Amino acid sequence: MSASTDHVPPPSTSLPRRELLRRAGGGFGMLGLAGLLHDEAAAGPALPDAPLAPRPGHFPARAKSVIWLFINGGPSHVDTFDHKPALAAHDGEPLPEFDKNTGFFAGAVGGLMPSPFEFRRHGASGAWVSSLFPHLARHVDRMAFIKSCWTDSNNHAPALLKINTGIARMGYPCTGSWVTYGLGSENRDLPGFVVMYDTKGRGLPKGYATNWSAGFLPGVFQGTGIDTAGTPIPNLARDQALSAAQQRAQFDLAARLNGRHHAAAGDDAALQARIESFELAYRMQMAAPEALDLASETRETHDLYGLDDPTCGHFAKQCLIARRLVERGVRFIQIYSGGEENQRSWDGHADILGNHSGFAAETDRPIAALLEDLARRGLLDETLVIWGGEFGRLPIAQKGAKPGRDHNPHAFTVWMAGGGTRPGVTHGATDEFGFKAVTDRVSVNDLHATILHLLGMDHRRLTYRFNGRDFRLTDVAGTVVAPVVA
Amino acid sequence: MITTGRPRHRRSRGRLLAGLVSWLVPLAGSVDATAADATMADPRGLEVFTAHLRPLLAHRCGGCHGAGTVESEFDLSTRDTLLAGGAGGPAVVPGSAVTSRMYRLAARLEEPHMPEEGDPLTEEELGWLAEWINRGAPYDRPLIDDADRGPWTDRRIAPEARDSWAFRPLAAVEPPRPADPLGWCRNPIDRFILVALERVALAPSPEAPAHTLRRRLAFDLTGLPATAAEIAAFTADPSAGGYERMVDDLLARPAFGERWAQHWLDVARFAESFGYEQDYDRPHAFHYRDFVIKAFNDDLPYDTFVRWQIAGDELAPDTLEAWKATGFLAAGAFPTQLTEKEFESARYGELDDMIGTVGTAILGMTIGCARCHDHKFDPIPQADYYRLAATFTTTIRANVDVHVDPGRHRADIAAWQARLDAATAARDAYERDELPGKRAAWAAAWAPPPAATGPSWQLGTLVRATSQSGGSFVPLADGSLLVAGEPADRDVYTFEIDTPLETVAALRLDALADPSLPRGGPGRSGHGNFALSNLTVAWAPIPAPGAAAAKPTPIRLTAARADFSQTQPDLAVAYAIDGDAGSSWAIDPKVGVSHAATFDFAEPVRHTGGARLTVKLEFMNNSRHAIGRPRLAFSQEPAGAVDAVTPERDPVDALASDRARVTQLLALPESRRTPETEQDLVRLHRRFDAGWQSLDAAVGRIAAERPTPDLVKVLAASENVPHIPHHADGRGYPHFYAQTHFLRRGDPGAKEGVAEPAVLQVLTRHPDGIARWRRPAPADAKTSHRRAALARWITDVDDGAGALAARVIVNRLWQHHFGEGLVATPSDFGRQGEAPSHPELLEWLAGELVRGGWRLKPIHRLIVTSAAYRQSSDADSAREAVDPHNRLVWRFNRRRLEGEAIRDTFLSLAGALDPALYGRAGRDESTPRRSLYLEMKRSRLPAFLRTFDSPDTISGLARRPVTTTAPQALTIMNAPAVRGWARGFAARVAADASTAPAPAAGSGPPDDATRVITTAYRTAVGRGPTMDELADARAFLAAQTAAHAADGGDVAAAAALADFCQVLMGLNETLHIE
Repeated sequence: MSASTDHVPPPSTSLPRRELLRRAGGGFGMLGLAGLLHDEAAAGPALPDAPLAPRPGHFPARAKSVIWLFINGGPSHVDTFDHKPALAAHDGEPLPEFDKNTGFFAGAVGGLMPSPFEFRRHGASGAWVSSLFPHLARHVDRMAFIKSCWTDSNNHAPALLKINTGIARMGYPCTGSWVTYGLGSENRDLPGFVVMYDTKGRGLPKGYATNWSAGFLPGVFQGTGIDTAGTPIPNLARDQALSAAQQRAQFDLAARLNGRHHAAAGDDAALQARIESFELAYRMQMAAPEALDLASETRETHDLYGLDDPTCGHFAKQCLIARRLVERGVRFIQIYSGGEENQRSWDGHADILGNHSGFAAETDRPIAALLEDLARRGLLDETLVIWGGEFGRLPIAQKGAKPGRDHNPHAFTVWMAGGGTRPGVTHGATDEFGFKAVTDRVSVNDLHATILHLLGMDHRRLTYRFNGRDFRLTDVAGTVVAPVVA
Repeated sequence: MITTGRPRHRRSRGRLLAGLVSWLVPLAGSVDATAADATMADPRGLEVFTAHLRPLLAHRCGGCHGAGTVESEFDLSTRDTLLAGGAGGPAVVPGSAVTSRMYRLAARLEEPHMPEEGDPLTEEELGWLAEWINRGAPYDRPLIDDADRGPWTDRRIAPEARDSWAFRPLAAVEPPRPADPLGWCRNPIDRFILVALERVALAPSPEAPAHTLRRRLAFDLTGLPATAAEIAAFTADPSAGGYERMVDDLLARPAFGERWAQHWLDVARFAESFGYEQDYDRPHAFHYRDFVIKAFNDDLPYDTFVRWQIAGDELAPDTLEAWKATGFLAAGAFPTQLTEKEFESARYGELDDMIGTVGTAILGMTIGCARCHDHKFDPIPQADYYRLAATFTTTIRANVDVHVDPGRHRADIAAWQARLDAATAARDAYERDELPGKRAAWAAAWAPPPAATGPSWQLGTLVRATSQSGGSFVPLADGSLLVAGEPADRDVYTFEIDTPLETVAALRLDALADPSLPRGGPGRSGHGNFALSNLTVAWAPIPAPGAAAAKPTPIRLTAARADFSQTQPDLAVAYAIDGDAGSSWAIDPKVGVSHAATFDFAEPVRHTGGARLTVKLEFMNNSRHAIGRPRLAFSQEPAGAVDAVTPERDPVDALASDRARVTQLLALPESRRTPETEQDLVRLHRRFDAGWQSLDAAVGRIAAERPTPDLVKVLAASENVPHIPHHADGRGYPHFYAQTHFLRRGDPGAKEGVAEPAVLQVLTRHPDGIARWRRPAPADAKTSHRRAALARWITDVDDGAGALAARVIVNRLWQHHFGEGLVATPSDFGRQGEAPSHPELLEWLAGELVRGGWRLKPIHRLIVTSAAYRQSSDADSAREAVDPHNRLVWRFNRRRLEGEAIRDTFLSLAGALDPALYGRAGRDESTPRRSLYLEMKRSRLPAFLRTFDSPDTISGLARRPVTTTAPQALTIMNAPAVRGWARGFAARVAADASTAPAPAAGSGPPDDATRVITTAYRTAVGRGPTMDELADARAFLAAQTAAHAADGGDVAAAAALADFCQVLMGLNETLHIE
């Protein structure tokens, strides 16, 4: 047990709570639910009528849900978790054998630049964390670090597509879509795959909603963007001119008329599913606002996340919502830190010190709180938390008034926590400057294979036939990173 | 559950592998390196290999450990690679099966158990494997005959690969003769269907009710609901041929082309933006959609339809629609921000998008699978892929100005030239025949002009006039220049003018009105205005003949004055000399009249012998805002107040300097006259002869009236055209490379020679290959005409891919009429796809298409007039037991409407649908235009349509998934647009109900509620309500009206009716084609 569990209910009571929440709204139309859960295998190549019905994976799962903290723009590994003392020893020297086209700005190549942040070892595992993350540093023994990640592209949009879909081109399903396609969702009253993004007016990640697109998978598997500052889900609220009872009367009439039609048309599963989809929609109108309403959370929880802190409150809200969604059985959640690019995200081309300090201050406390909160509710074991972006940053300076760091596809750090990962381990390493991953290199396909594995799926067997080919998230590659699996 | 995307009749992997190994043949003359082993091997071991191991390994192992795919780095296609082992270490210890990893995994003694898919090996198979290893694991020849056999870039397919049902030439098929005791068959299609049903002793379903058929046909052919009146008229018409007349009527409606265009746009991955990070708009992309609509409505033969989409610019360069068609190739997504490291792979990705889409859309083949390796399942060597890609090497996306009607333009130009020639001839004849006789009298009557009083503006002699945009200047008699040519957004005029004045103190600019200019000018903008952003002057001495001009010295201008300046800030005449291109002199709203401005020189120019003045007029801060008819004049004195030119008076004496010259010449004594002075006098005489002046003015007028072409900017794919500028240009992206290379593993870093354009071997039955379809390009061709050859091949039924193209399109028609194709995998006719349910019917329909000149409407008509199509969609458990998926077509398939049809239906019910054809509707989803016209911006696809499974527009989609989700229900119940349409529907129902006939259902005289409910039902689903439905609806209306009244709603009945109508809109019956 961790130290700060004074206000925490014992795990034995928290698990039933989750079950309870998952059944929220279950009193309504339970008849319908049975129909939605039926196995569609017999219906042939057509899609299941209940595409989000929960279904088992290939083998028993460690993780049931995923919260992916997307550190958008390319966080610098050498300024966060990948400590490189050699940078100080060789300050200003050119990086040997450096190809100036590695980053984005070939004309602003500087010398090796030590991190402006101080690194220290933390926890029993002795993991290095820079001074950017004082809160997270207390949780390193929960994390499994992969310090040898690499990707294909030195450019945001393709690299974002790569880390999200496995392929650096448009048109492929993202990880969350594959996961919900494979497993459905545990809560039918909420979207199975939820994405939250910047609410500070800094835009969406490059490529916009392509990053949570279902690609060629049916649209039902695409991420539902939840605007945590505005109208969260499109068409969720009923017309103001209609009372709840009046709308209920509409739903009831539709159910009666559709029921007659269904009976006359013979047994047609698609018609039955559509009847039930209206009941689901009705319940979602209740369930979604409830899930997003933080008023019922305690003062202590608000403070833990920093909800009232103007620096991190917006991200804290999203982290707390993520926990509430996980409690309710939502399968896959992505939260993007930062907006489009440059100073609007972790894309620290200029002033790495100022850029990373600002975004770290927005996220450090909320993410630490999320880990703590999940753990004390017994949810961390079955929730895979992922921290990472689309690539890393170069160990050399990008020249400018305040030096920054340019894109680095050759190395970046990802950490995972919970969901069956092995806590306190570090896998893989970069070279002495942090320029390239050299030891136990981990590709994006490997990361995806590992995520699917933790969710109980074999990445080679999760396939979808499109235009004559069986596609996978991991294309034709991918190996589970076994050392980070508990 | 996890593999729900797979077709259900998935073939065993073994059969697939058999295909893989069979279609490749060794090249003649190659050496089999392992053959040597064979001679020394244990003959019994070889026997075991040949008889048992070869098929076993090929079928059960080679798919993952063969030449194409080598999982765990283990490749058993040759003995050498087998012995080399894989990532898990040595696989085979010759002579010791029990210690061989391969045997241990197969025998399930160790994990991972192999094969990974399908059943374990049988005891017998394991026995063969063990014996073979124990006998030294000999090979007679490689398992897959391509390893070590010459370069992959030369690979040939086995001739028998062309014998697959999909790749064969069209067979002549006679419709069969079913027993048909009930006389069910209506046309040949039914004979094929019935024979198959009779084979399993199934009877077809009864015919659907008339109102259902009418509604079905309306959705199917036009994507719009039939109106209540149309349904009533049809159900009341029992005459023979009524159904066929209705079909013909629907096929002739413009909505037919719109409906079927959507199906094609799906497979063409049509969208109107680039996608990726910036997702720039493609504002001229909609022309492609219009082309498809028009092609289907005009019943453009399908072979032409296909050829134009590949090479319309080459095959029919004078046809606007053919240019629009090339938007097919241009429609793919493309990243507009690239780093240098991504340039080449991005271009190869673009080529892949083009040929991949040609493959899936037109040939129903997954050509894209051969990018990185030989196609695993179909006879497409990787080299064929690159040769096909090479066809598009120089093809790029461009916004091209295309003539709407080039023939008419050519005729207009010819007529104009004839007028110009005639006017010129008349003037020249006058000059030659009339003028000399008048000269003596003119000279005798010459009176020198009186001395000028006040400031006098004089013209100079124009040395040079240029327009930065390439426009030309037509000199008019008053010394002004009429600008000709297409107005450009920005322009700079530069004039060099010699003046004999030895002191120049001021400049005058006239901006003259002219009837040829928009709204009479003087500007060239659409509303007659101009915006002179800057005017500068410099001077130099007039150079001696043959001498170089000196570098002009700038003159500072002061005291800008104009007769009129536009009143907004920054538009006064002074802004023309402020050096700021962002401000200007303009004259709105006083258009249609002439204006003038004057500028004093800060220091007058004084130079003996006159000066050459260079005047520059810049028009930089508003589009097309140049002056249409400028004139420049000079004065020895600073300018005073400015008078503009009026019809009555021209303040500039255009003839002043000429008059002085005439006086001077006539004063010369006879002895000092030279041939040059005589020539000068002839020239000057013309200036003062009214007859010549009038004829010359006519020439000038006509010259200025050169017809401008009627051009349309179209997003096209072509060659040797300017690329569309975007972000990546800043880093030097070349947009295409001169050559396409063979890429090992699809990697631009692994080039293996240049690929010359060619076509797929498996679909080519002519020994000359691509040369069979090449034609010499016209002498003036700007493109390579490589695509033209490909286009001919792809529609050549005898020697090329035409038979497959025909099969694929008739299958698509069938699929969209019946909800399921005869081939259930409409974009995969390869080995991985499903075999046709009715192969002979498919063959016959394809033949009918070709025999009918590739016209699609007759095929549509044939399908929808069949008895098969007219069946009921009701379920039937007895028939389902025999054919649960209705592959034999014993009933019609009920299916949900697509998102577009749902939205269009809602608009129709609301009476709001705008039937305008063509163009684009923009991004606002509340537009009343058909959904087809909503702007397809890739990052913001219309939410309503996406909710109902519209495609993501990145790859072609032949068959939309149909999902049933809560967000769809939320859209129907809560979307403000749907609520609004429900109110519109209710208002129509209320109005129509008052004139509706009494409903059949019900006892006693109908009351208002009954009338309203009946009208609503007839409008939404084409039938009246049943007694039960009527009762439910009445109860709802009564309660809902009371509830609205209790809420204080003052229009409670109308609100309740809208709520009711909304429920009807969302009913299953409304949303499905029954």
